[in-house]
Amino acid sequence: MTTSVAPVRAVAARDGVLVGWRGLLRLALRADRFRIVVWAVAVAWLVLASVRAFDSLYVDAAARQARADLIRSPAATALAGPGFGLDDYTIGAMTANELGLWIMIPVAIMAVLAVTRHLRAPEEDGRSELVRSQPVGRDAPVVAGLLAAAVAVGAVGGATFVLLLATDLDPAGSALLCASVVVVGLVLAGVSAVAAQVAGTARGASALGLAAIGVGVVLRAVGDARGPRSTSVLTWLSPFGWSQATAPYVLDRWWPLLVGLAVTVVLVGLAFALVARRDHGSGLLPGRVGRAHGRLGTLVGLAWRRQRTSLVAWSVAIVLTALLVGSVAGSVADFVESDSAIAELFPAGSSGAVASATAMYTAFLAVLAAACAGTVLGAARGEEDAGRVGHLLALPVPRTRWLLAQVGLAALVVVVTMLVAGLVMGAAADLTLDDGRWVGRLVAAAAVQSVGALVVLGVAVVVLGWAPRWYGVVWAYVAYTGVATMFGAILPDGTDTLAPFAALPQLPAQPMDWPPVLVALVLAVLLTALGLVGFRRRDLTT
Amino acid sequence: MTDVVAVDGLVKSFGRTRALDGLDLHVAAGEVHGFLGPNGAGKSTTIRVLLGLLRSDEGAVRLLGGDPWADAVALHRRLAYVPGDVTLWPNLTGGESIDLLGRLRGGLDPVRRDDLVARFELDPRVKGRAYSKGNRQKVALVAALAADVELLLMDEPTSGLDPLMEALFQEVVREAAAQGRTVLLSSHVLAQVEALAGRVTIIRAGRAVASGSLDELRGLTRTAVVAGVRDAPGAQAALAGLAGVHHVTVDDEHVTLDVASDALDAVLAALPAYGVRSLVAHPPTLEDLFLREYSDELATLRVPEGDR
Repeated sequence: MTTSVAPVRAVAARDGVLVGWRGLLRLALRADRFRIVVWAVAVAWLVLASVRAFDSLYVDAAARQARADLIRSPAATALAGPGFGLDDYTIGAMTANELGLWIMIPVAIMAVLAVTRHLRAPEEDGRSELVRSQPVGRDAPVVAGLLAAAVAVGAVGGATFVLLLATDLDPAGSALLCASVVVVGLVLAGVSAVAAQVAGTARGASALGLAAIGVGVVLRAVGDARGPRSTSVLTWLSPFGWSQATAPYVLDRWWPLLVGLAVTVVLVGLAFALVARRDHGSGLLPGRVGRAHGRLGTLVGLAWRRQRTSLVAWSVAIVLTALLVGSVAGSVADFVESDSAIAELFPAGSSGAVASATAMYTAFLAVLAAACAGTVLGAARGEEDAGRVGHLLALPVPRTRWLLAQVGLAALVVVVTMLVAGLVMGAAADLTLDDGRWVGRLVAAAAVQSVGALVVLGVAVVVLGWAPRWYGVVWAYVAYTGVATMFGAILPDGTDTLAPFAALPQLPAQPMDWPPVLVALVLAVLLTALGLVGFRRRDLTT
Repeated sequence: MTDVVAVDGLVKSFGRTRALDGLDLHVAAGEVHGFLGPNGAGKSTTIRVLLGLLRSDEGAVRLLGGDPWADAVALHRRLAYVPGDVTLWPNLTGGESIDLLGRLRGGLDPVRRDDLVARFELDPRVKGRAYSKGNRQKVALVAALAADVELLLMDEPTSGLDPLMEALFQEVVREAAAQGRTVLLSSHVLAQVEALAGRVTIIRAGRAVASGSLDELRGLTRTAVVAGVRDAPGAQAALAGLAGVHHVTVDDEHVTLDVASDALDAVLAALPAYGVRSLVAHPPTLEDLFLREYSDELATLRVPEGDR
């Protein structure tokens, strides 16, 4: 032998599994930079806006106490918090009790998705094979993914804390509240890191992580409903339970966060232990074998099969929101009747207050339904870019039929979800108000507002048909209709001109007015037809 | 007999890029037609125009007697397509994808489908996201070959297949041709095209630069002849003077020369005077034909002459 191979230096072997994590972290943060900013600003701004709304709605102790009595019920507790400080319900106690969970859930979702995105998804599209062939250790992606998620979670917590300084709330309590949110995010990042080792696919890993969030939310809901002020064992099995047990602004205790941090450490350790036991690109759970022969044979069936998880999630979220709104209708009525100052604001009485609240929420749900429709066509756009639409159109499948299948699925999901949401909201309102007229009213309201979502769907079809590379415009338009619909009253006149939901009659607060509904319906059909014409004329993008 | 594919003067631009620049392509019924050209020459664009996925800017395009854009659906009943880079639905198994494509076509021959799945050794129960490149290709091949169609459009159909599967592919295409189907086969595997195709079209920068049967194309180029003779210098002097003879070199007792096909008679007539002991003549391979069309590009790529 004339040449010899230099032995691998022992030092390299020792720190091998972690080598390269800094580079991967920089890569992850660069990929996520806009996402992190958007999440942080959106969450912090919504928290600030909600606290301001509490401030202006509940100016005196009597009003706040009425609110406390309302939130004490098990149904409200399940959707709020453990109920610290209900006897002296300050704005701070209200913020922690009613808002805390709703900051924690999105942050937890963000953490789960961030970890899967950086840990597991690159293994599926082959990126991490290139990366791992470099001098990069086996554990480096885990470290980078977890730290990227931690940075994102920390950014949301930090931004929220900074904006909360602009309120009258005690900064110490705000710091604890934000720290509690961050700890939930860290725990779920740890859960997701374990899930990424166990699940067979990146999608499966995300699903496991999101399921863990669902289980955590349910455990604390049942626990807090059984034992107020975090006294139930079930509450202490949930990351949300630990973080809510800190009771910011009331008891201001930091120690429950230690539970969350300890669990995070255990989960991260478990993830590192598991990563050494699995093959690159597969999980510890064996991949399942599917059908050798398919039963799928229609375009609508294919679109549904591709998107059913997302569509079911959207529909369930919309219907659950409707249930929540309907079930507090009784409380709204009681609240208005209990306070003469507020009652004066509603000349039509408590029934008028319920009508305007349900009308507003129905429009809000229609905006969500429009966003859901946007995801269906966005997925269709993704299928085209991936080359799968070309595959289908090389068969005897007319372009019109393919696009109509996507549009039809979206329209069907929008209309059915809205009608079910109206029915559920109405039934819940009827139960709590001991009235029998709300089902009819709210189903009609949902039907009218769903036409607005169909107009948005039409706009999406036009963009897909004529300028598919500009599909982002659809999301800008959905966001615009949302803001214009929800805040149209306080925005300058004319801002909501292009928002279909604002132009439609706001049932049941306003009387039915057929012309705008029919115009919107015709517009939706015309926009869809226009989009079809464009799609028939253009080249496929790939 | 009319042409199954008749393309004349086809132009297709993407923005400022002229992907197809007056392309001519004619495929007769029942033939296997090789479609050659390097990456970016416009092969896939041509096939996508033939499928009606892209709209032609200029030129006449007829497919099975119809207009590929206007009559797309009717034509697609009579053809099947295999793309070069198959993307499958990640959450559908290979079997589900094959059957979905078949149902949307109006039905596959189930016997032929199962037979092809078995012959290509494809596990149809695996999800699309888990297949390797070659296995994704097999899914598209099975879906296309199990369909009862007159025309197969194949765009680098065997990329990612192993040599055994490559051999099976050639066998299956021969069967299809024997059943009277027409095949347009775009490929980089020149040996594959040479084995299967009766006629070829070589394209370059969106234009056809050579088209015809392999024999016709060979006639346009030179045969390499190596003759072992007793009087090599004498042979060299005599042969170098003949029209259509090029690059005559001598190495010991061997004369090496390139001969245009119409000069072969004269060369064979001249050789016996110098005492022929051995004679090797090899006609140009498809690779030689292809590389000849691209000789200037090879020069810019700095590939030395001897390696061509």
